[in-house]
Amino acid sequence: MIWGSLVAAALVLGAYAPQQAGSEPLAPVQEARVQALGKQLRCAVCQGLSITDSPASMARAQLDKVRALVADGQSDAEIESYFVARYGEWVLLSPPRHGLNWLVWLGPALLILVGIGFIGRVLLRPPPVAAPPSRLPERPADADPYLAAIREELK
Amino acid sequence: MKWKMGAVLFAISAALVLMLYKAFGTDPHAVPFMMEGKPAPTFRLKRLGSQETLSLAQLKGRPFVLNFWATWCGPCEEEQPILDWGAQTFKDRVEFFGVLFEDTEENTKGWFTTPPVYAQLIDPKSQVAVDYGVAGVPETYFVDAEGNIRNKFVGPIDQQTLASRINALTRPAATAEARP
Repeated sequence: MIWGSLVAAALVLGAYAPQQAGSEPLAPVQEARVQALGKQLRCAVCQGLSITDSPASMARAQLDKVRALVADGQSDAEIESYFVARYGEWVLLSPPRHGLNWLVWLGPALLILVGIGFIGRVLLRPPPVAAPPSRLPERPADADPYLAAIREELK
Repeated sequence: MKWKMGAVLFAISAALVLMLYKAFGTDPHAVPFMMEGKPAPTFRLKRLGSQETLSLAQLKGRPFVLNFWATWCGPCEEEQPILDWGAQTFKDRVEFFGVLFEDTEENTKGWFTTPPVYAQLIDPKSQVAVDYGVAGVPETYFVDAEGNIRNKFVGPIDQQTLASRINALTRPAATAEARP
């Protein structure tokens, strides 16, 4: 209740005054490019969200920049390079395919293949042939000296 | 055959451990700063409360401090007195500029308890902020007399850091690199 009143008071007093609005969408084809590029770029203040999906001010600023660069006639690769030059490869939600990054791309597929191979080996392995019960060779009764001694005593 | 399977599993496990080691060794939320040592991107921004503009070209040959801030940012309010102190203390050595980030001129009315000590600029659509690699506010950039970004400070800056960065900024680049 107190918090609600405080927030309402803050809104009335302008403490949470509206921030700057984002730029106007471009023509549909160009705007589709903006949104697609934005999906590939990580918002600098969010946790794993793209700048298209994030409502943060930082994401809006970055998406506005994408919009400006698209309107300026820059290619997708040039726009990606622009962001990498400022925020490093960290800004790309899909890690580029080089060096150790290949582990990220190929690791899961490799693990699945190894798993399938392992399961296949287990399933396709022929069941072990049941060994006939081994029959101990009969030994003459007097072969065991202890048994022989007992028998001797019982006589 | 069994040793081959063991070797494959070992190789995969080693790769995964290496990946985890690399991932745990870094802060996933830390945004890399790639603009260090690079020429400051050009800009022409309108001054707050005036129709005058300021461009990077006008600052040629003079080191300056660029602070990105917003009225909706609590830590920005917290660091404002420190920046005012810095602007007054080092006014003979560097110029200070505030750049309003993702905000409107309207919102700044009544925000300053005392008239701003240094010039405030408005960055429409925060395009200059993204050009500089800003990853949130407040962030303070230190640009040397050659027009290169020496470094930036993320978060509300303290007096000691501000003083030491300005001292380094006003030294020649080679000396500053030798004595960080």
